[in-house]
Amino acid sequence: MDLPGYYEFCCRVKIIAGHDALEKIPGALAGLQARKPMIVTDQGVSGAGLIDIVTQAIKGRVTIGSIADDVPPDSDLRVVNRLAQVYREKGCDSLMAIGGGSVMDTAKGVNIVVSEKADDLMKFSGAGALKRALNPLIVVPTTSGTGSEATLVAVVKDHEKHLKMLFTSYFLLPDVAVLDSRMTLTLPPAITAATGMDALTHAMEAYTCLAKNPLSDAHALLAIDLISTHLVKVVKNPGDRDGRLALANAATLAGAAFSNSMVGMVHTLGHSVGVVCGVPHGVCMAILLPYGLEYNRHKNGHLTAELLLPLTGVDVYTKTPRDGRMDEVIARVRQLNQDLHEAAGGRHPRCFKEVVDKNGVAMVPHEKFKDIARTVLGDGSVFYNSEELDYDDSLMVLEAAWEGRPLDTSRIKKG
Amino acid sequence: MGDFREVTPGGNPLKRVYVAIMLWFVGRAIQAAAVVDDDVKKEFENLPDGFTFSLGVMPNGPTMIVGKNRRGKVKYLGWNPKGRLIDLKMKIKNLEAAILMFTFQESTAVANARVRMIVDGEVPPACAIVRVLDIVEVYLLAKIIAKLAVKRYPVWSFGRKWIGRTRIYFRAVLGY
Amino acid sequence: MFLPAQYEFFCPVKTNSGNRALEHLPVELDALNARKPLIITSKDLSGRGLADVMADAFKDSGLTLGIFDGTSPAPDLKLIRELTKIYRHKGYDAIIALGGGSVMDAAKALNIVVSGRPEDLERAAGEDRMMKPLKPLIWVPAGEADGYESSKYATIGPLNFSSPYLMPHLVVLDPRMTIQENIEKTAASALIVLTHAVEAYTGPAKNPMTDAYAYAAIALIMTHLMDVMKIFQNEKGCLDLANAASMAGCAFSNSPKGLVHTLGSALALACGLSPGLCMGILLPYGLEYNTQKHGFHTLELLMPLAGPDVYAGTAGSLRSRKALDILYDLQDKLVQASGGMVPRKLADMKVPKEKLTEIAQTAGGENITGWEGGLSVLEQAWQGKPATPTS
Repeated sequence: MDLPGYYEFCCRVKIIAGHDALEKIPGALAGLQARKPMIVTDQGVSGAGLIDIVTQAIKGRVTIGSIADDVPPDSDLRVVNRLAQVYREKGCDSLMAIGGGSVMDTAKGVNIVVSEKADDLMKFSGAGALKRALNPLIVVPTTSGTGSEATLVAVVKDHEKHLKMLFTSYFLLPDVAVLDSRMTLTLPPAITAATGMDALTHAMEAYTCLAKNPLSDAHALLAIDLISTHLVKVVKNPGDRDGRLALANAATLAGAAFSNSMVGMVHTLGHSVGVVCGVPHGVCMAILLPYGLEYNRHKNGHLTAELLLPLTGVDVYTKTPRDGRMDEVIARVRQLNQDLHEAAGGRHPRCFKEVVDKNGVAMVPHEKFKDIARTVLGDGSVFYNSEELDYDDSLMVLEAAWEGRPLDTSRIKKG
Repeated sequence: MGDFREVTPGGNPLKRVYVAIMLWFVGRAIQAAAVVDDDVKKEFENLPDGFTFSLGVMPNGPTMIVGKNRRGKVKYLGWNPKGRLIDLKMKIKNLEAAILMFTFQESTAVANARVRMIVDGEVPPACAIVRVLDIVEVYLLAKIIAKLAVKRYPVWSFGRKWIGRTRIYFRAVLGY
Repeated sequence: MFLPAQYEFFCPVKTNSGNRALEHLPVELDALNARKPLIITSKDLSGRGLADVMADAFKDSGLTLGIFDGTSPAPDLKLIRELTKIYRHKGYDAIIALGGGSVMDAAKALNIVVSGRPEDLERAAGEDRMMKPLKPLIWVPAGEADGYESSKYATIGPLNFSSPYLMPHLVVLDPRMTIQENIEKTAASALIVLTHAVEAYTGPAKNPMTDAYAYAAIALIMTHLMDVMKIFQNEKGCLDLANAASMAGCAFSNSPKGLVHTLGSALALACGLSPGLCMGILLPYGLEYNTQKHGFHTLELLMPLAGPDVYAGTAGSLRSRKALDILYDLQDKLVQASGGMVPRKLADMKVPKEKLTEIAQTAGGENITGWEGGLSVLEQAWQGKPATPTS
């Protein structure tokens, strides 16, 4: 293991994990001197009965100030400002986010507004705008996952002005993350697959991109090991509690890894496909992951090769010759998508042409490729990618990822 | 008490001057490149009129400021940020980090990965400006050094590189 | 990979490491809302010019710093009172501990006082008594580091403290500071680091978050320790070891104190020896005992210890044995590389055999093994012969 020229790492979130972790929430709140939390969640989570599970687990020991379950699928500025108002009206002193990435982002946004005693989140969009600790924030992830419980970032969209605001600060890290297997037990197979691949992408990109460091590497390796062992099994057997807890751990580990060493072109392209075509983030990640590894192969293939053992286990590792490892990793990721596709009854897409909405309409048509490639130019994660990715490069990768064929490596411009 | 003393470390005048000169030159080179190079021109065309950005060292400079005026012309606006409305501030955390960047020991990408800079402003314009800086570095620096500064050294026609380089140097020195 | 059914983990430490890391301090202090740090160090380190290097890193920042270099190897409450006066009178708002060991102990104790009131020091002693975060505390390793500095533990005079709020907000590892000067102390510190990381990684309270820190620490030590022993003043290698120390301290703070740590500390105290050298000798024997009797996760240890090729190339049933052999082998290598300064067995350290029972009993009250287990480990380590092979 080697140190880079310079690095920074911080993950000061307290982790409480287990099959009965929710019951520890009252103690965690007391430790933060929090008495009246506001629960922030969305209709999907409350509809699945998860809020009831949480309130049951903490019944009688915590006074809940308010439950806001109308967070939209995309974090929204107006919702943030409105919830901050509710928080103040109900005299809350802390926040509990129960949900996925956008619920956690919304809660982080609300926390900025209420802690700074402001009324508009926009005022804090500059770097260094946050100067001190925010009010207590506990997060309970319900997907495995975005890893947002361990990241210092919150993304909030201003849908009126078509702006995406990025807040980055160590003060945004939640105080506590509660990983309880009950929270993902009923997650449908296709979503389990997609969010699991999101976590795998975080870990693999954190390990192979420019800001990698020993601590993020260690977190990433452990995450990959857990995902490769449990993901397909859990998609096939959703009631596997141990598997669910393992994936929850993996998502947090992967979140800690990429929060500190950033991500690369899989996210750059994936974000853009998501923004232009509305494809869920995890699905974009799953499809694009092997392409990212393939595209960067000439620059960081030796790092990709190091992921073979955690990804496949001892048998495959010993059978693969040393110089074949990086390609084996890429092939295995493609195979993983195939396995998930089968395990999820065909509902986990393997390439963009298979991505359809609930009416069966293709979501990533060729006409939108130019828009996607243009959007790529405005995404900052590309700077952490090992190789340059311009407009033409994006188009090339998109075309291959649409069809589901490997990249033509002779067409990759090598820097 | 022989064990205790208080110090207020002074400045580092030589290093400041070096970085100030580099920033001044890069600022004027960007102004020149916006006329000479088509890619740089296009990047600025996609930015709104009046857009201003700065690249400087914390806490007190040196700084360079470049902006696009209401008529769409890109101008180097000097070293003093006071009183200016700056949309995008790229702040290098300290003088040592700036020295590492401007002696090409750390390329822009590496410096970014090593968290040497804080970017204060929206991401898409920041991406555009970093691409502009990369192009300007290819013009200003000999290939052997520019390859350290950028991720993928571009393949340009002889004309673009050499005539462009001459024009940019000329304009940067003369300031138009 | 082993996953516990439940666990808790907390590591509030931010790590900055590498070339020109010190120069980021003004920005980091600002992020902690501090503008006037008090640097605490020892005469030894200021004599080597390190306090000046630190001050130079603040050039151009416009900040004022205090430098106190009167910290002794055994800081007492009198020192804390003196430091409190300076901190308060001169209006400092952050502490930077430049050095290791006792310097950081003093810094942690001082931080308790200046974040509250002087009486708080006695009241805070004991397990987990602190309720709130303290004022900014930064650790800048210089010279040898064994990881206690980044851990939740501190000792001052007769008082012992344990709280995650004592862990530094930030650790700044800069190669100009982490150069080591004494080969025996380097080995001893690295062995404490290895012991803590290994016991956290293999012990019953193992969890993935602690594992990440322990894994990185073990891998760094195994990759670089022998290089540092062979080419002393190897700037890059010393930085690697300091990183490992900081990470091990974080892992150590999230797992119960292990057998080797407890026996090693008791032995060192009873016989006036280096705790690191004691733990270093005891580590393979203690781990072997725990693997056989308490099902420690030693087979997983082979991965960070030797890397994927060795791990994959070793049959599953033989991995624990291989890991232990590597640890025994490391001892031999250290003995050789240090020209015998690092001892091979307890007998070489002139530990009287009669004392072993007493030491085991002292240590026995503090861990799951009970004193007879500890005694058998001490006896084997005394002779330098392991018991039957693990399979």
